[in-house]
Amino acid sequence: MMDTLCVVIDLSVKHWQRSATASDQPLSLPAFLIQLVAFLNAYSAGSSDNALAVFAAFPGKSLMLYSSTDTQPQSTTVSGPNSYPPFQLLDDAVVSSIIHHLESLSDSEQEAPCPLVGALTKALCFINRLTLDHNTNTSNAEGLDPIALPDPRVLILSVSPDITSSYIPIMNSIFSAQKLKVTIDACQLSGPDSVFLQQAAHLTGGSYLYLERRDALLQHLTMTFLPSPSVRGAIAVPTQDKVDFRAACFCHKNIVDIGFVCSVCLSIFCQPVPVCSTCRTKFPMKTLQRLNASRPPAQPRPAPIGTNGVSKANGSSYGTPA
Amino acid sequence: MPTSVCTAKASYKKIPGVLELNDSNLQWTQDGRKAPSVRVPLTDAASLFCSKEGATQVRLKLGLFSDDNGHNFTFISPQAVAYSEREKFKKELTTIISRNRTAAENAAKPPVTALNASNPPTPKAATTVSPSRASSSRAASVSSDTGATPIIPGNDPASDFRLRKTVLLNNSELAALHRELVIGGQITESEFWEGREHLLYAQVASEQQHKGKPGQLVDPRPEAVEGGEVKIRITPQLVHDIFDEYPVVAKAYSDNVPQKLSEEDFWRRYFQSKLFNAHRASIRSSATQHVMKEDPIFDKYLEKDDDELEPRRQRDIDIDLLLDLAATREDHEETGNEQDITMQAGKQKGALPLIRKFNEHSERLLNSALGEGPSHKRRRIDESDYETIDLDDLHDPEASIGIALEMQDRQRYFEGRMTNASTDASQETLDIKEIIQNTNAELQQWASSLAQLKIERKPGDAALLSMTQNVAARLDVKSKRNDIPDGLFRQMRTCQTAANEFLRQFWTATYPPITEGPSLTTPAQRAAKASKMIGYLSKTSEKVAAIVQTAQQQGADPARVDVAMKPVLDAVERALVFHRNKKTSRS
Repeated sequence: MMDTLCVVIDLSVKHWQRSATASDQPLSLPAFLIQLVAFLNAYSAGSSDNALAVFAAFPGKSLMLYSSTDTQPQSTTVSGPNSYPPFQLLDDAVVSSIIHHLESLSDSEQEAPCPLVGALTKALCFINRLTLDHNTNTSNAEGLDPIALPDPRVLILSVSPDITSSYIPIMNSIFSAQKLKVTIDACQLSGPDSVFLQQAAHLTGGSYLYLERRDALLQHLTMTFLPSPSVRGAIAVPTQDKVDFRAACFCHKNIVDIGFVCSVCLSIFCQPVPVCSTCRTKFPMKTLQRLNASRPPAQPRPAPIGTNGVSKANGSSYGTPA
Repeated sequence: MPTSVCTAKASYKKIPGVLELNDSNLQWTQDGRKAPSVRVPLTDAASLFCSKEGATQVRLKLGLFSDDNGHNFTFISPQAVAYSEREKFKKELTTIISRNRTAAENAAKPPVTALNASNPPTPKAATTVSPSRASSSRAASVSSDTGATPIIPGNDPASDFRLRKTVLLNNSELAALHRELVIGGQITESEFWEGREHLLYAQVASEQQHKGKPGQLVDPRPEAVEGGEVKIRITPQLVHDIFDEYPVVAKAYSDNVPQKLSEEDFWRRYFQSKLFNAHRASIRSSATQHVMKEDPIFDKYLEKDDDELEPRRQRDIDIDLLLDLAATREDHEETGNEQDITMQAGKQKGALPLIRKFNEHSERLLNSALGEGPSHKRRRIDESDYETIDLDDLHDPEASIGIALEMQDRQRYFEGRMTNASTDASQETLDIKEIIQNTNAELQQWASSLAQLKIERKPGDAALLSMTQNVAARLDVKSKRNDIPDGLFRQMRTCQTAANEFLRQFWTATYPPITEGPSLTTPAQRAAKASKMIGYLSKTSEKVAAIVQTAQQQGADPARVDVAMKPVLDAVERALVFHRNKKTSRS
């Protein structure tokens, strides 16, 4: 059974430092990488057909570190008596390229946020390329509708909080993943829960995990992310019980339970507005009045309606309640 | 109370009972019970079958639109009585079925309806139908409907009542709610329908939309073949369909019955004749061909097989030049596609009559639905033709001016959170360079640290436990069954639907009306209605408490009832708070 896994690692130096110095169960980047490498080896050991690619989001740039489909330069390090050469190759490629790229970060890049979504997009492109190859190599070479790879999957290991400006690209990646039938698994290693990753996992049928015990990372990785989606029917993996689907309004950035959505551009507002501030669509007076009336009267009272739809400033047309 | 049309003693699934036909339902009640256990809305009746005269049991089978198997009733009165009873049912039901089937209900009946399945066809009626007449009159029956004046709900109390009744009959849940609230006297009829006008409009619309003729080709299938005997069950519906499909049979019928042949003989000989064989809808005739006999009467009506290269019945319609592929053939001799040699007209001679029959049948169906179009004069290509070949889809999509989404000041939305993040970061200044150096130094030894990697037992166990709990919790939900007793469940549902209806009434009374123009109720009335609904709503929590108590008595888990009713209570609470705040803010 062939499997395809793309691992996306968040290498935000700033947030790793925070994770390493956390008072409760610190997890440093080197410790994380060692356990990740063990997980990757376990995955490769599952089947020699398993395809693996590793992507990393460095501050300011995203790169592919390793891909099992590309031929690797021969390892320069002498492998010890206890090592299995393919694993050695994989481990070496991943770790040494991380070292190399961290060293070569320029000053301006060091402060930049990590484009996790860039790495995710590259992973999706990679899967798409594999899908095309897969199709040309099989009988479906001429088929118009490409056969999806069996079980393509992306695993995102994130340490930094959501970057709100990447909301739209994240959503677009999720939609592309759905179209490619890619499952997105996500693991938030530290910091607050990631709303975007929760939604990504939920919408693609993957599993989102918040790392509760940072001292047992490998345990979490193998138990939750080693089984491929096809075997998850038999081996249930942990996932989030509830997903936060609430949105923030565009006007005040409040998280709202009930929002008012522009019918043209889908912008979200926490109160009815006469003109959409995003696309400048004007809404009919009548609608506004109805919407206003639905809001709790703690705010200024909704204007009463005359029969001709003109709002009046005073409430005289209201009858007294019985 | 619906009036009963006819009743008879009849058994259903071998249980004796009473079969009753009233003006809306056919229902069967088991002896000694009050409520009918079988109830079929008459609008659902699709077909009717009867056992043969002289059979030991007098049976009646009703096929339904929703269920082909239908219901079987056996009349259990003494045979003579049973026959007359069945005839009565048969007569009523065939009328109803044909009404269900025919598209037109209140339009002027075209002459062809004389052939309606309700009354066994008389020779006289049949003679009036010639093929062209049949299709044209059917066409008329469809088109005349479209001109009927629409009924607007609310204008005519009588039709309004009828509409409401039909809507309730078709929607049992709504009917239950109606029984509970309106007949229970909690809200008035007009209050109930306020905000549900769309249901009435939809009913009017669906009543004005008529079902066309079913597209199935008439193909009576022999029921049993035993020793060369072919048994075909003849129903009035079948006779109607055969006459409709093959006017030549209708002609033969009118020529020969009852002078030369009895009705029974007519059909027996027809089904054995070559004529019938020519009318079959498939070529699977090898077995039956031996049964075919020379028949001096029917062979007269036999037409030559329609298997010449050119169809016998030429299409007289002028083909639209834009659809006629042959029209421009001469322009494409060199450049166009090569002729397809795999498809040759009439290569398989035996299939030709069948194909043509299908085509004619389809054409007749189309014509009956569309109406006979005005006969086209041979047209010349003019300007308007060029306009019709100017297809929208062929235009360059780039040129279309969509509504561009011009997000104003896109960054604005994100900045709110961004600033949060940045202030967070500024609290601690990190020397990134140093961190990177330290990290890299540590990473250089990755090989040896990988060799020393081991999982600590305690945290590993803890992680395993928490993840297992996560999985187990989901499994638990899946494996839980719905073990709430039926009666209690019904109570819960009733409580919820009632509360929902009160909520709906409350909010429609509270919010400004949707409808344009002067609303029917004054603000004072609306306010009164809102507070009335609040009165009902405030009792919801008592009702739920009562249900929880019942649950306890019946041994069900009251906590689950609580959980199930929570959303309703929340919604009610919201309405109550809203109302209270509104009152206080006004005073």
